[in-house]
Amino acid sequence: MTAIDPMLETPRRVLRNSGAAWRRLFDSPLNVALSLLVLAAAAMAVPPLFKWAVLDAAFLPATPQTCQAHAGACWSFIVAKHSQILFGIYPLDERWRPAIVCVGLIGLLIYSVRPSSWRRGLLVAWLVMMVAAQVLMGGGIFGLTPVSTALWGGLPVTLILTVVAIGGGFPLAILLALARRSELPALRVLSTIFIETMRGLPLLSILFIASIMLPLLLPAALVPDKLVRALIALLLFAAAYMAEVVRGGLQAIPRGQYEAAAALGLGYWRTQQKVVLPQALNVSIPALTSTIIVMIKNTSLVLVVGLFDLISSGKSALADPTWRSPAIETYIFISAIYFVLCFGFGRFAESFERRNKVSR
Amino acid sequence: MALTVSGPPGLARPSRGVVRRVDLLAQAAAIAVVLVVLGVILATTRYNLSARGIQLGLDFLVERAGFTVAETLLPYDPGDSVLRAMWVGVTNSLFVSIVVGVASTILGVLVGVCRLSPNPMVAGLARVWVEGVRNTPPVLLLIFLYSLWWQVAPSDHAVALAPGVLASIRGLAVPKVTTPWSGMDLLLLAVLAGGLAWLVARPPRAARAMPRPFLAGAAIAVTALAALMLGLDGRAGIILPRAEGATLASGAVLTPELFTILFGLTLYTTGFIAEVVRGGIEAVPKGQWEAARALGLGEASVLRLVVLPQMLRVVIPPMTSQYVNIVKNSTLALAVGYTDFLTIMGTIINKTGHAIEGTVLIVVVYLCINLTISTALNLYNARIAMRGGR
Repeated sequence: MTAIDPMLETPRRVLRNSGAAWRRLFDSPLNVALSLLVLAAAAMAVPPLFKWAVLDAAFLPATPQTCQAHAGACWSFIVAKHSQILFGIYPLDERWRPAIVCVGLIGLLIYSVRPSSWRRGLLVAWLVMMVAAQVLMGGGIFGLTPVSTALWGGLPVTLILTVVAIGGGFPLAILLALARRSELPALRVLSTIFIETMRGLPLLSILFIASIMLPLLLPAALVPDKLVRALIALLLFAAAYMAEVVRGGLQAIPRGQYEAAAALGLGYWRTQQKVVLPQALNVSIPALTSTIIVMIKNTSLVLVVGLFDLISSGKSALADPTWRSPAIETYIFISAIYFVLCFGFGRFAESFERRNKVSR
Repeated sequence: MALTVSGPPGLARPSRGVVRRVDLLAQAAAIAVVLVVLGVILATTRYNLSARGIQLGLDFLVERAGFTVAETLLPYDPGDSVLRAMWVGVTNSLFVSIVVGVASTILGVLVGVCRLSPNPMVAGLARVWVEGVRNTPPVLLLIFLYSLWWQVAPSDHAVALAPGVLASIRGLAVPKVTTPWSGMDLLLLAVLAGGLAWLVARPPRAARAMPRPFLAGAAIAVTALAALMLGLDGRAGIILPRAEGATLASGAVLTPELFTILFGLTLYTTGFIAEVVRGGIEAVPKGQWEAARALGLGEASVLRLVVLPQMLRVVIPPMTSQYVNIVKNSTLALAVGYTDFLTIMGTIINKTGHAIEGTVLIVVVYLCINLTISTALNLYNARIAMRGGR
């Protein structure tokens, strides 16, 4: 057999596939019926939607009058209010600060998915990023105007909640997973109880409990503000879910690896650190990615305990009486932001995974 | 932490005595930390409670609830006890979970199969559905649907969405089925049918010689007879929805809140179940289909005897977590204003001030529901896993 240059092979394969795709639409009675059904539904749904979203829609200038003049979607509202939706009630002149925080956090999050970047430097980068986020958002030093957490809102809050919950939850998750697989019964039982309770409860109830119980359980001086209470709840919740993912990875490690490490005279922690965890975490990356996506989505629930995440800042933007409250358009805009974040993150992790598989 | 135990060189494991002592120490330390934390929390809680003059106790459960609940499955009025209000909340939550569970399982199988369809349009549409719900928060979907309802639903008349389904700004009306049986009768019949099905599946020794179809027929006849006797005095019928202006006068009427949570959660969960189903179908190798056909089995037998058993083994564990997720997601009812168990508990805690007892009740109820689901499905899973062998 002669080796075929893959570059030459590609166009022919694409052609063949595209022909097949067309034929596959109409190659059997069932397929013809299904295709016609989909086409009919599209013919019914698409024109009015297109008319609403594009033809009749109001774009510029971004004023309430433009919206009143058009029957369709009121995108002018999004154009006029995008900054309020993205950054909540953060002071108008200072919004470049949360913008930088968002870009930095997303960039670092994407960079961190690749195991090749998992070095000590990354940890330092995250610590620097968190301090920078705190300084930029909160202000008070370097001549930045102080902004209290009550004024934080929108996308930066969503991102900070996600990152802290996952970043802080991850080390805890590893400890919990190790404890649950440990031979020490007390540790195993404690960690199992914690994990199963957290996983058995709705996040909403955990947030709710954190917001009403912490003031009762702690001395008044120690009771944290709303943001921190939600953060603690999210962190513990994320830790329990990630612990199960990590445990799955640990189970995939063959016994021989432990025995080999023991034969080398490695102790428990060295075995875990040098032999078991690197392999286990590598196995659990796909599951971790989907847990992270779930956590990004979960942060939206903090709106019920009165925090200004993306959805609540959208709601407060809608409260402006000069506009006719275009809720649909606003929620489509916010959904699009979440979709880009989650889908993009998932796609990136997946593409990396595929490359990782090829290289092995 | 000094858990590191280095044994003498040449030994695979360090000697037992050393491990024991270190291990004991670690466990004692862990327990001590937990106890100290609990103790501190307990002490401050007692202090905080006495400072606010709150008495612990479950007496408030039998007191008058005193608040209204907009929509209940069971009869309820503000004069009922707090316990009754809680029970109303549990049934509301379970109702949402069960309807969403059934609907999204059926739709999920459909969408999962569509996802693998050779027809690119059908597969693409299913994919859009799956990716859409997997990458947006469910609470956003619910709020979106809810505000969509208020913008789109007509406020002065009702429109027929389908034969027998009317919608107006007041809600959605569907045909109401009245059965001649009360709830208790239905429960009895279900227990009877379940017991008989068990007997048919594992007949006692005396009946083992009889053919299976005969036993099954007998069981169905007995159940039908019981149903007839229990339902003799009742009336069966279907009440079609009717509208006067925008008011939905008859039929089973779902408020916009209930409709949103049912419809939204079903849309959402269907996307996840579709992925589980797709994974299950793809987990059965093509060779299994071909081998079964080569044995001369018909398509239905191939599916029933070869493909489904292998698929179920892959599908049941992730389905279990999907069903638990439905119960957990039913709390999102809060975002659209449908009163589920969590909302009712919030009201109770606000009104009575019994935050600690209320919290414990929330935890206990959700853990009970979710553990029941996962235990039941795990038992089922253990059975089919054994039968499948490995």
